[in-house]
Amino acid sequence: MLSPERLALPDYEYLAQRHVLTYMEDAVCQLLENREDISQYGIARFFTEYFNSVCQGTHILFREFSFVQATPHNRVSFLRAFWRCFRTVGKNGDLLTMKEYHCLLQLLCPDFPLELTQKAARIVLMDDAMDCLMSFSDFLFAFQIQFYYSEFLDSVAAIYEDLLSGKNPNTVIVPTSSSGQHRQRPALGGAGTLEGVEASLFYQCLENLCDRHKYSCPPPALVKEALSNVQRLTFYGFLMALSKHRGINQALALPDKGDLMHDPAMDEELERLLAQVPGLVNSVTASPEASCLPSRTPPRVGSPWRPLHHSRKVDGESDGSTEETDESET
Amino acid sequence: MKTATRSLSAFGDSSIKTPSKSRIQQGCHSAGPNISGDHINLVSSSLSSFPIPQRSSEEKILYSDRLSLERQKLTVCPIINGEDHLRLLNFQHNFITRIQNISNLQKLISLDLYDNQIEEISGLSTLRCLRVLLLGKNRIKKISNLENLKSLDVLDLHGNQITKIENINHLCELRVLNLARNFLSHVDNLNGLDSLTELNLRHNQITFVRDVDNLPCLQHLFLSFNNISSFDSVSCLADSSSLSDITFDGNPIAQESWYKHTVLQNMMQLRQLDMKRITEEERRMASVLAKKEEEKKRESHKQSLLKEKKRLTINNVARQWDLQQRVANIATNEDRKDSDSPQDPCQIDGSTLSAFPEETGPLDSGLNNALQGLSVIDTYLVEVDGDTLSLYGSGALESLDRNWSVQTAGMITTVSFTFIEFDEIVQVLPKLKIKFPNSLHLKFKETNLVMLQQFNALAQLRRIDQLTIDPQGNPVVNFTLWKYYVLFRLSHFSMQKINGTEVTQNDMIMAERLFGILAHVASSELPQYRLISILGDARKKQFRYLLESKGKKPGIINEENNDSKRLVGENTNRATLNYTTRDFYNEKLEEIKEKKKFCKTYIEDLVKEATEINMKNEALQKLWPQMFIELVRDAVIEIRNENSYMKLCLQQITDQK
Repeated sequence: MLSPERLALPDYEYLAQRHVLTYMEDAVCQLLENREDISQYGIARFFTEYFNSVCQGTHILFREFSFVQATPHNRVSFLRAFWRCFRTVGKNGDLLTMKEYHCLLQLLCPDFPLELTQKAARIVLMDDAMDCLMSFSDFLFAFQIQFYYSEFLDSVAAIYEDLLSGKNPNTVIVPTSSSGQHRQRPALGGAGTLEGVEASLFYQCLENLCDRHKYSCPPPALVKEALSNVQRLTFYGFLMALSKHRGINQALALPDKGDLMHDPAMDEELERLLAQVPGLVNSVTASPEASCLPSRTPPRVGSPWRPLHHSRKVDGESDGSTEETDESET
Repeated sequence: MKTATRSLSAFGDSSIKTPSKSRIQQGCHSAGPNISGDHINLVSSSLSSFPIPQRSSEEKILYSDRLSLERQKLTVCPIINGEDHLRLLNFQHNFITRIQNISNLQKLISLDLYDNQIEEISGLSTLRCLRVLLLGKNRIKKISNLENLKSLDVLDLHGNQITKIENINHLCELRVLNLARNFLSHVDNLNGLDSLTELNLRHNQITFVRDVDNLPCLQHLFLSFNNISSFDSVSCLADSSSLSDITFDGNPIAQESWYKHTVLQNMMQLRQLDMKRITEEERRMASVLAKKEEEKKRESHKQSLLKEKKRLTINNVARQWDLQQRVANIATNEDRKDSDSPQDPCQIDGSTLSAFPEETGPLDSGLNNALQGLSVIDTYLVEVDGDTLSLYGSGALESLDRNWSVQTAGMITTVSFTFIEFDEIVQVLPKLKIKFPNSLHLKFKETNLVMLQQFNALAQLRRIDQLTIDPQGNPVVNFTLWKYYVLFRLSHFSMQKINGTEVTQNDMIMAERLFGILAHVASSELPQYRLISILGDARKKQFRYLLESKGKKPGIINEENNDSKRLVGENTNRATLNYTTRDFYNEKLEEIKEKKKFCKTYIEDLVKEATEINMKNEALQKLWPQMFIELVRDAVIEIRNENSYMKLCLQQITDQK
């Protein structure tokens, strides 16, 4: 991270690459929005909290969609938040429709657009009946690919259409860097007669795309790996392969498929909450708090009106986060 | 002659004095001197097959005007010769099938053919003096051939197979008509019987009676054991001023609860009903009851009118709602498709409206509880019905601003919303909370509930015990998790029932299990300032709704303040899960745009400043070594000559002074 090349960039570009300005602008905007409330406990505190939350990934909660998709970090945070909040739904084994997943997304981001959810659902269902039920893990992985790489995928779709209709975008630029890839057949028009397009040709176009464009793309090596086994593929087949690829997944937000339901820290928290359900005589957990009188407020949130000089318990910790979130953030 | 008339009158009298059918028969058959058949010899003539009765001349002189041939095992009417002055002829209890051979007895006054096998009335056309004709217990199917019997006084046709009253309209001297035990299904065609005083129609299948008001002398009417079930079918009786005695027993009408007083009320002229005298008390009771009936009818008529009006209004509201939904759908589809197809004017055909079940709230029974506060206007409907407040159509929401009496408002425990957008309902929930503090059960039908998030809005109410979300018009019900989400978000209400099913402990646990982490994240992981801003937002919104209402009082706002503070204390856990209606949300985003623009320029300025400073710093960094060397060199050069440097410094010091 602290490589010398970063100093080679002109200032503005450097800031832009790290999306620092986005966060600065948003911070100031938030400040303006809530200045009566924030002025109660100081601007310095506000900025601390803001950037802490950016680091933790909680800044995107209940924010508008334009902010949520503004930076890759935001997208990753959102995906993680979604996973953590609704992992229990998946654990329960319910199969839900696309609309219901969209509802859950809307709980975290009120104006999340339906199109994205629909596209994600299409990946899972392979463009089939859109009312089918999907499992949580299937949907989540597909959604991750769709949301994080949405611009990339749009371009890929355009390329795919072109290839299907016989046009080869490769004729525009010809980077013949590796000769080993020159195995493409001379019959360019035959690319789309069978189902899908030819894998190697497709990959070439993708590589060009990644070089050309600045927005985030999956690492080309991994993409190649995903495509290595097939001769031909359809668009949704490709996306499905991407979503199932472990390497790509690890580069992003979510844990591996096997670990998807596994979050011991949150489970502990959940048990504690369950113990507080009123009227529950035989508590499920062995936690000592089970014997406490049910109080609905979780212990860590102080009164919102307490002014600055009463230090909250939380402040003492490293970066203002609870222990549980610390653990899960690794 | 005198004896004959005397006996005839005695004969006739007895029949009048004994109105019951059986006694007529008995009267007919037992009056008059007993003439046994012993004195009569029936000789069959060789000329014809008919027997010819012969009797001794003493008998002929003694009983010159009457002849009795009962129980003679006759199968045909015998030819009676030499007795042309006969007045009374008795053929009872024989097997006669046809009336014949009596055309010569033109002085006949009474003819008794009871209990024979006669199938058709015939052979009577010459008997112009006939006054009593007894044809009971035969097999007559049709009343006919009575045209010349204009003097007929008593006509007895009981126990036959007659299905229709006909061909008797010329019998203007007829006083007694007995048609009991026939197959009559209705009574009409009675005009012309101007002397009729007694009409016996017992044991038929009569369902309705007509023309009785055309009988000016009718006093006794016996309708026992028929099929009369309503007073309307005998309504002509009310118009008959002469009727004083009537029987209905054995009819379905007599079993009705309103039978007696209805009859009494409609037939004030009656003296006897079902063979019992009518007392003054009974008459009074009857009129009282009849008045009550009338009122009841009026009331129910009014209520049915109201009901109809309500139904029409609801239909209208439903149609409007449907229209709205279609327009909205078309709009969103066009947005999505981005098509440039020509926008054809929507031909919304009202007839394609899908049928929906008639919405009828439970109407209060009894006349005492009239419907309260029924306000019906074409585009919306507000109905208060005991403990339920029903609102149809978005216009109905304004009615919450009305001045509801404390009593009425206090009684309301159920509020039902139909054909209203949920987003609009959300805006009036604070009003609902204040005006109807006891409303514990909310029902939503056709309110466009599509997102789980919308349930967050219900959290601001004081309390909900029951929630009913009708699947019709509320797509959210199709989601698998909706109930659990409701239980989770509104857990502080401890709801008892959702859509009619009890909420079990397991449901609560499941809800918590599914969404507990969401609450945890929403509360503990949000930075402090976000918490404040979200909660503050919610409260600001509520204030805004309140202030926009018409009946604002400062006291209420204070109460609201306390309330919401209490609310915050209750469940900070979930309080951040709010619902902003789409319009408000977009509004807010619009407002933020300005700020965002400003922030952008501000930050840009800062960045520019920072980069400038950075550049300068960098430039300085680059130049500094050189500059430093220069400085050092200058200094060294300066001090090269110690003495002259000392002198120069001292000089500088003195100059300064």
